[in-house]
Parts: sequence; C-alpha cells; structure tokens
Amino acid sequence: MCCEHVGGAQPSVQRSPHPLTRAPVDADLQPAGSLPHAPRIKRPRLQVVKRLNFRSEEMEELPLPDSPRIDVTPPPSPEDLAELWDHEASDAAADVGLTRASAAARNPVLRRPPILEDFVHVTSTEGVRAYLVLRADPVATGVQSPLLHVPWRGGGQLDLLGVSFASLKEQVHGERRERLLQEAQRLSDTLRSLGSGEEEAAQPVGAPEEEPADGQDASTHCLWVDEFAPRHYTELLSDDFTNRCLLKWLKLWDLVVFGHERPSRKPRPSVEPARVSREAHDDRSPEAFRTRIEAATQMESVLGAGGKPNCLVIDEIDGAPVVGSLMPGILNRKGPQEAEPQGPAVPSGGGRRRRAEGALLMRPIICICNDQFAPSLRQLKQQAFLLHFPPTLPSRLVQRLQEVSLRQGMRTDPGVLAALCEKTDNDIRACINTLQFLYSRGQREVSVRDVQATRVGLKDQRRGLFSVWQEVFQLPRAQRRRVGQDPALPADTLLLGDGDAGSLTSASQRFYRVLHAAASAGEHEKVVQGLFDNFLRLRLRDSSLGAVCAALDWLAFDDLLAGAAHHSQSFQLLRYPPFLPVAFHVLFASGHTPRIIFPSSQQEAQNRMSQMRNLIQTLVSGIAPAMRSRATPQALLLDALCLLLDILAPKLRPVSTQLYSTREKQQLASLVGTMLAYSLTYRQERTPDGQYIYRLEPNVEELCRFPELPARKPLTYQAKQLIAREIEPERDFFGRVVVRSTAAPSAGDTALEQDSVERLMGTAVGRSEVWFRFNEGVSNAVRRRLYIRDLL
Amino acid sequence: MVQIVVSSARAGGLAEWVLMELQGEIEARYSTGLAGNLLGDLHYTTEGTPVLIVGHHILYGKIIHLEKPFAVLVKHTPGDQYCDELGRETGTRYLVTALIKDKILFKTRPKPIITNVPKKV
Repeated sequence: MCCEHVGGAQPSVQRSPHPLTRAPVDADLQPAGSLPHAPRIKRPRLQVVKRLNFRSEEMEELPLPDSPRIDVTPPPSPEDLAELWDHEASDAAADVGLTRASAAARNPVLRRPPILEDFVHVTSTEGVRAYLVLRADPVATGVQSPLLHVPWRGGGQLDLLGVSFASLKEQVHGERRERLLQEAQRLSDTLRSLGSGEEEAAQPVGAPEEEPADGQDASTHCLWVDEFAPRHYTELLSDDFTNRCLLKWLKLWDLVVFGHERPSRKPRPSVEPARVSREAHDDRSPEAFRTRIEAATQMESVLGAGGKPNCLVIDEIDGAPVVGSLMPGILNRKGPQEAEPQGPAVPSGGGRRRRAEGALLMRPIICICNDQFAPSLRQLKQQAFLLHFPPTLPSRLVQRLQEVSLRQGMRTDPGVLAALCEKTDNDIRACINTLQFLYSRGQREVSVRDVQATRVGLKDQRRGLFSVWQEVFQLPRAQRRRVGQDPALPADTLLLGDGDAGSLTSASQRFYRVLHAAASAGEHEKVVQGLFDNFLRLRLRDSSLGAVCAALDWLAFDDLLAGAAHHSQSFQLLRYPPFLPVAFHVLFASGHTPRIIFPSSQQEAQNRMSQMRNLIQTLVSGIAPAMRSRATPQALLLDALCLLLDILAPKLRPVSTQLYSTREKQQLASLVGTMLAYSLTYRQERTPDGQYIYRLEPNVEELCRFPELPARKPLTYQAKQLIAREIEPERDFFGRVVVRSTAAPSAGDTALEQDSVERLMGTAVGRSEVWFRFNEGVSNAVRRRLYIRDLL
Repeated sequence: MVQIVVSSARAGGLAEWVLMELQGEIEARYSTGLAGNLLGDLHYTTEGTPVLIVGHHILYGKIIHLEKPFAVLVKHTPGDQYCDELGRETGTRYLVTALIKDKILFKTRPKPIITNVPKKV
C-alpha cells in the first residue's frame, strides 16, 4: 500500500502523534453522511506502515484511461492545492461515487474521505484537511518513485527500523526459540556421548535449565583458557618450590604494605585474586607508561574492594625497550606505589620480580619477561629479585588437562594428553586451545590419532639462535619414531600409513627437523655466521677435511644466493638458503658438542676493514698534488706502501744532526722530503703502560702489518725523534708544508729586477741607504747662534 | 748700513716647495754619505695623511699650512755677478727661488716595518 503526499501539508495520523505507531484506519473516520459500507477487516498490523514520501518533486503519474481534466499530479504548494480543490468542488455536481472513484483514481487527494478506498487524512498548515487514498501496491516494494536511488535507507521509506516493532519482536522470539532448540540438541548429544542414553528425545524443557549452568555454548562463552585460568594455589602449574619462593617474597612485603607482620597461615589456599584488573594495555611510550603506573598506584583504597593493597604486574616487559629502562627511574621515585597481585604464573621462559631498595616503594611490582638478557632490562636486573620459572613438568600439565577435560565433558586418557603436551612443547594455552577446538568441532573423545593429525593449537614460535645451532650441531638423543607428531615434517609424509611409517627414516626425520628449525629462525644471516664461527671448533670425523671444503662451498653458495636475490630482486631464491644448516648438520653433527659461542667474527672483520680504509683515505688525502696523481688508494696499498715504509727507515746515526756528514745530511733531507710529500710525520704518544713512543701518523704501518709475517724492524726512538724534529718546522698547523722563501721580505722583491722603480721600492723598504733616528721629545727650545757675517 | 737685497729670481711665478720636517736624524748606512741617496718614499693615504717610509721605518705625518711662509733664498756673492747699471759693486744678493707655504710634519715615533713574519713563533 502506498500513498502519495501533498507537499507542504503536514501529515498526521489519526490519534497518535508518533508516525510509526500503528494506527488502524478504521471505520470511525468516515464522516457522517457518507454511505455506510461493510465493516472492513482489520488488516494485519504490518500493512499499516506509513511509507510517507516527502519527496514532492517526484510525483507519480496515475495511469488514467479518461479525461485528464485536471492535472493528476498533486500540486507542490498549498495554494495549488486549494486550486485543486476548487476543481474538485466543481466535480461535486457529478455522481458522487463515480466521480469520487474516478477522481480518486485521478487525483488521490480528496477533500472528503472516500467511501470505498482506504485512506489516511492529512492536515495542512492552514488546518485544511485532506484525505489521501491508499492504493494497493502491486509491486509491493513500496517504492513508486521513478528515482529508486534515494539516499534514505529502504529506498524512500522513512521508518527508522524498516519494519514494524511487532515484527521485530516476533523475530526476536523466533530466534530465541531457535537457540533454545539448538542448545537442547547439543546437550542431548553430550549426554548421549557420555553414556547416559535414557533420553532419546531431548526435551526442550530440560534445556533451558541446564543452559546457563555450564556455558556449553562455545560460541557465546569465553575461551576455556580464560575459564580455566587458575584461581587456586593448587591449580598452579609451576613447581612447588617456585611457588613458595614467590609467596615468601610477597610475604616479605607485609612489613611494608601492612605495617606489620601478618600471622602466617598454613598453606595459603588462594593467591589473592581480588582486583586483578584485566585491562591489557599496550602503552609503549614512556609517558603513557608512567601515567599508567601512577594511575594504578594512586588509586589505592578507592579501587580496592575490601581495602586490600594492590600489587602491580607488568607483563612482557622486555618487549618495550623504553619501558624496561624507565622502570628503575620510575620505581625510585618517592611516594607510595601500588600493584596488583599476579595471577598464578604461567611460565614462559623466565620471570622476574622487582623489589625496591629503600623505603620509597610501598607495594610490590612483579615484572614478567621472556628473555632476561634483553639489554633494556640490564638496569632493572640490578635492582630486582630474579625468579626463574622452569618449564612446566609434563606430568603436572597432564594432570591439569585431565581436570579441564573432565569438567568439559571430553573423554581423554593420560596417554593422549601426554602426546598433546609433547606436541605443543608443554604449552598450557596451546593444549587447552587444541582441546577446545576439537570440542567445538563436535569431538567428545580425543584419541592419539586426533592429537597427532591436528595441526592447530601450535604456537607460532621463533626459535632462538642458540637452539637452532644446537639443533644443527647436535645429534638428537632420543631417536624416537615420532612420525605424525612432528610439525616439521611435510604434510605428505603424515599421510603415509598409520602407526610406524617405515619409509621415513631417522635421517630424513632429522633432515626435516633441522630444516624446519632453520626456516623458523628469524635471522638467517646470524644463523649462518654462528655456523661459520663454530663449525671448526667441532670434532671432525674425517681427516681429509672434505667436510670442511664442502661446508665452505655451501657458505659460498649461500653468499651467492643472497647476493643474487637482492641484486636482481628474485626473492624466490631465498627458498634455498635454509638448506645450508641442514648440510652442516649432515656434515658435522655429533653427539658431543662444545659450547657454542656467539658469532663475532663478522663484526670484527668489518670493523677492521673500515679502519684500514680510513687510514688509507687519510693518507691519500694528505699527499701533495704532485704525487697524488700517481697515488691512487689501490695502487698505493698494493704496490707502494710496504716499500715506502722501508724507504722511510734508513739507518741514521743517533747523534746530533750537526755532526752529520754531507751525505748523511742529504739522506736525512731526502727522507724528510719524502715524508713531507706523503704528509707523514712522527707523533709522540703515550702507551697505556706509561711509555712514550713515536708513532707514524697516519699510522700506515697497520696496513702493512700481516699477522704471520715477521714484523719490520722499526726505527729507534731517537731516530724517530730526530726525524720528527726535522719535519716539524716544515709543517704549519694544518700539516701543510710551508713554502719557504729566502730572507727577501716583500713580494715584489724577488722577481722584477729590471724595473728600477720596484728596485728602489725594495731598496727603500729593506735595503735603504739611509737610516732615520728618531729623537724623542720636542726641540723648540733649541737655539743656535747665527751671525750676520755668515749671511753676507 | 748693511743691506741685503732679496729679489725674486725671475719674473714668472715662483716654485712652490713643501717642507718636510722630521724629528730626528738621518744617517747614512754606508760611508758614502747622504748625498745622492734615496731617502725614502712619501705616500699619501686616501684621507690625505702623508706617509713616509724610510728604511724599515714608517712615519705618519700631517700637512700643516704655514702661517708665515718661507722663501727659499739662493745667495749670490758679488764676485761673479754682474754689476748693476750704476756701476757700483753689488753686494751679496739673495734670490728667491721658491716659496714654501706648507710643510709636512712627522713628529710621531716611527713604526718598524716587518716584512718577514715567521709563521711559527
């Protein structure tokens, strides 16, 4: 049904102000005097949806068979409406019904309510009431406007919900019914699987009672991991000793926190679980971190229920490097600080606590990290009490998993759970997630096969470098047939048979194992460097060094691959480098491995190379231009430098230079000249043990010193001193050679001998024939006698 | 009565000389004496200050306009002079050859000129 709306008039539905409320169009709207007609059927509510179209510009052309005496499209303005009604009034002489009908067909806006059709009434702003005819919409979309694309939702519908409220309610009821039915069904399945098979037909009656109890619906309930997070001391997974250590440490805080020692209770049944605010913050910036701590600590008694003091737990503190270094600073501030008690520790490698020094910190802070050797935690370590959490015992884990599966209604046996623990490497979360996943897939009984075959529940791990190296160089001790359990094995091998797969040998297992380890290590470069540094320290089996050659070939290959991959950007080549550790494993793995050292040779070599480069660069930049053209760094280094150093070390008598013969003086002068040309000099330096030595600067002797060859016999200290003294006056502050001219001072003096003016100028300045002697004082009181006869 | 006649040397204008006054003595380096040797250089700065370079000394002076100008007289003794029209024996006559209206006075202590400054002290 639809109706058109006359623009400008206010629509109002009879008897209710809200446009969405259902207002039945019923019989009492008929004005008196009209023909009584049969009572109409109460239409279903859904249909009286007011699809009010306010778009006055899109008007509908009624398909009229006859005489469009007046324009059928309703006028857009009230004035026109009045005009229309005048037209309408002129029709009044005609047959009422017919005219009305046809008029209604022509013009759905009426002045009097129609008899036969449905209508709604509309009141204009002036108070004039019009009646709009409702028509059945054949298309039933409710959209008649030619412009279907209306920016409103529902294509022209004004209603906010799109459907009526009753229909919404019905929908909700329907959904709830359906959900109840589903849960009932699932419950009956569970009960059936547990062996109690008395109820064949799961009654929906029974379902709602049990529904809220257990939270069987995995989709709406939380994860099992959260649900089975330990709340009691007995539910902790770490070993007893560690737990007691932690408790004891916390107890130590009694004095500070409570001001007195609390009476010790026999084994504490629960770690205080109050107010573990589960907000996970990911504030990496120092400011945010500081405000977070302050916020947690300042809100002391407001937050605590029952007035229990808080204990701050910071997890993954090694992840935020800024934070880790800020902690000591923050914690050494004055003022009370608080923390929240930690939930029971789920071990993940390492844990540590922090206990402040001094009386500044009033509440314990517990920091959890995975890698206690992270550099950002170095400062913190000095002030903290470290507690290392050993990895979980499988037996304990199995026990816990049994409890979980019992609670959830899954059938497992310890062997299966043990296999699961082994597969996930004793990770509690992975185990519980795997169980939940299997459960949600409908499995209520877990067998070894399921555990082996499922590939979910595995954490994405990054193996540490040392573990990778260990894997490569050490033969695995227990050569168990773990065919289906190894995630490293490719998928097709898992499909081979069941039980013992005879085709997969232990060598292949090792192959894939090492491959997987190498591929999952993050930094291939570092792995290779570690292998390179360590592979010669192993005990080699063959004496022919063939294995070493093969290993070196592999290293060269790896280098080529990396170079090619990055040079031509064909990164598909990077599929091959992980095979290098496998090759090393095959070549070098033995039962006994020496301690593996962290690789440093690359770094050292790089440093040395850059140092030498700098030396050469300094030398080359100081060479005088005349020699520079023949002294490229390459040529200098390869050809000239060693010999140059030999030239610079002649035999010089350790006496004063005045006593030298001319030949010796010449020798010395040429030596000095050479050194000046290459801008070398000897500089006195103090060694760490207090001795003074003369060192060549720049010290290019380093470049020519080879560790295996015998060192060159150096010049004596006196000789170097002598040479240094000779060189020194020739160099200015910057080390440049001073161009020294002879004693003639002025520039014009040297050249232009033929010009007499210049010559005279030079004479005047430096070599004048007269001298001037200045007389101090005044001489106006000097008198002399003068006789007239002298004038005559 | 002693009469000494001072007359102008020629009819035209007289030369204008400038007097240089030094507060000191000039000595000869060699034993040849001062005669014929170059004394030094006289320069003027842009402001007009005279600068005298003598040997390795430099003097700054100033130009002073003489309120009582000098005249340069050359003595002529009667022995080789012509007699005047009266036939009397002329006495010693002085001829003015130049006038001096300005002098350059160097009265400040001279500064030494150092031409070879060693680069390293």
